[in-house]
Amino acid sequence: MTKKNITPGDMARQNGQLADLDQSKFLPLPPPYDKLELEPKIKPLTAEQKERYECSLDGVSAVMIPKPKSEEEKKVLVDKFLSGLKKLFNREDNWTFLQALVLTMEYCAKCQTCSNACPIYQQTGGMEIYRPTYRSEIMRRLYKKYVKPGGRFLSALSGDNIDVNWEMIARLIELTYRCTLCRRCAQTCPIGADNGLVTHELRKLFSQEMGITVKQLHEVGSVQHIQKGSSTGMTPAGFTDNVEFMEDEVKERTGMDFKWPVDKAGADVLLIHNAGEFLAWPENPEAFAIILEAAGISYTLSSDLIGYDGVNYGLWYDDVQLARVALKHIETAKKLGVKKIVIGECGHSHKALTVIADRILTGDYNIPRESSFTLLNEIVKSGRLKLDKSRNEEFYVTLHDPCNVVRLMGIVEPQREILRAVAPRFREMEPHGVHNYCCGGGSGFAIMPNTNFPDWRHTVAGRAKMKQILDVYQDVIGPEYKKYVCAPCSNCKGQIRELFNAYGVFERCNILYGGLVELIVNAMTDIKEPFLTWEWH
Amino acid sequence: MPIFELGEVKIQVDEDGFMEEPEAWNDAVARALATTEGVAELSENHWKVIHYLRDYYAKFGIAPMIRKLCKESGFSLKEIYEMFPSGPAKGACKVAGLAKPTGCV
Repeated sequence: MTKKNITPGDMARQNGQLADLDQSKFLPLPPPYDKLELEPKIKPLTAEQKERYECSLDGVSAVMIPKPKSEEEKKVLVDKFLSGLKKLFNREDNWTFLQALVLTMEYCAKCQTCSNACPIYQQTGGMEIYRPTYRSEIMRRLYKKYVKPGGRFLSALSGDNIDVNWEMIARLIELTYRCTLCRRCAQTCPIGADNGLVTHELRKLFSQEMGITVKQLHEVGSVQHIQKGSSTGMTPAGFTDNVEFMEDEVKERTGMDFKWPVDKAGADVLLIHNAGEFLAWPENPEAFAIILEAAGISYTLSSDLIGYDGVNYGLWYDDVQLARVALKHIETAKKLGVKKIVIGECGHSHKALTVIADRILTGDYNIPRESSFTLLNEIVKSGRLKLDKSRNEEFYVTLHDPCNVVRLMGIVEPQREILRAVAPRFREMEPHGVHNYCCGGGSGFAIMPNTNFPDWRHTVAGRAKMKQILDVYQDVIGPEYKKYVCAPCSNCKGQIRELFNAYGVFERCNILYGGLVELIVNAMTDIKEPFLTWEWH
Repeated sequence: MPIFELGEVKIQVDEDGFMEEPEAWNDAVARALATTEGVAELSENHWKVIHYLRDYYAKFGIAPMIRKLCKESGFSLKEIYEMFPSGPAKGACKVAGLAKPTGCV
């Protein structure tokens, strides 16, 4: 049984699960999903999984933390945690986000404006453990007790004491994977505290100091990216083979017969896609190739190791991995001698390479980086493509704002200007732009398939987005109306696909999802057959 | 790691039943893994898909694009789903002993 008023101190409880997920308390979804029985259920972990993994936070295991085998093993982990905690607040060890972290620790008026902004806290009907300040208050107490001088003595007196044991750490690890790093909380804080950053810094501590990560983000994510060239495992030879296939496909579908520029030294632009696009949504890189060819842009793709995969999973959990990948991306561009890098429809690679890596990209490494949204908007506006927007008239279009590009970088209008030019039935979700809700797949969630975590992702993390999509199409929700969610980000697309699958949205409501460039190509009059195929994928 | 055992076959698998050591794959393993996918018997068409996947994987170290699999094997996506109910990535690749797909796919 879980008690009603959970406090940060409860994290160290020796026995039992801290909180229960009760789907009947979650905020209701609009029709046709206003009946609980139409929702996917959060499956309990199996006895075997419970035996093997730490799951005493909320009965979900995202990270699959193995249970330590002995008290000694627990002690080693606790010691690593405490020394790592101190490093987070040391300028020599954590120069990236130190100032913002310290300010967040020192200043929080507990006004709870952030709680109202957090989709996960709100959508679960206000589960205390998901409150943005719950996580931060744990961190703040740790900081006061273990990092500040005289902290142990003062903490004991203040009533803000917190105990550190393995149970507490294991719960905290899972808790850092119940936040999508969408940073609506940081956006709304009247004094500028950043609770999203707290999640990020904790994940970093677990990875860099304790070696505890999510396999899909680390081992077969950023580590595989560096070794094989892509987090998908795609080698340079595999990439080249895929490009050849896509060239053939473009020819078959559009009649346009041209070679894609690969490793073309001296091109103006290096275009980097998320390699997941080639495998899961090849129509997206195909549409890019068609547009750039038709507009006469001097650009190239790269078949260099890492140069064909723009992802940078380190952004979500590890500064070292982030830096390794970002430098490789820049080195690829340097080798080709391009004037700038343009990033395809991938949200986190936008933020990683343009904003976050900026501080390590000095001197000749400071090659300009640009969003594909702005380049595409210039192309559409220039009149170089022959467009007829009535070709997109038979379906409604709404736009999902990827958090990393929109709230966190401020790129709001270019993608909208494009949609106004090519999609006559474009309508906005509420709220949108920098106030959007995360798809629920942010910070790596979309690629984390472990145990019952996908159930949590579909019913909790993605709930606000699901509600927004259903709301915006309420007047045309029946399957007789065709509807499209434009999600210009691979990670968001993956999450929306999984959400729609889990709820049966395509069958029940006839809502398809896809990227931005596909809509542009679908409006190009030079292409006879519709580029967009209304098939589930 | 969980162990999957059926008759003579005993292999290590991950949470989703994908092989942890793909080098231990053989025809008997494929037949055993197929039962976890609701496929009682592997037909000639099943083997055609499996062999195409394995050949491609041996050459490029990754599973082919789904569209390429359809084109080169001559089966539509629908037919592949009929053969392997959880689909080309989660079903066919698992039976063929390929690693579980990773990255943003």
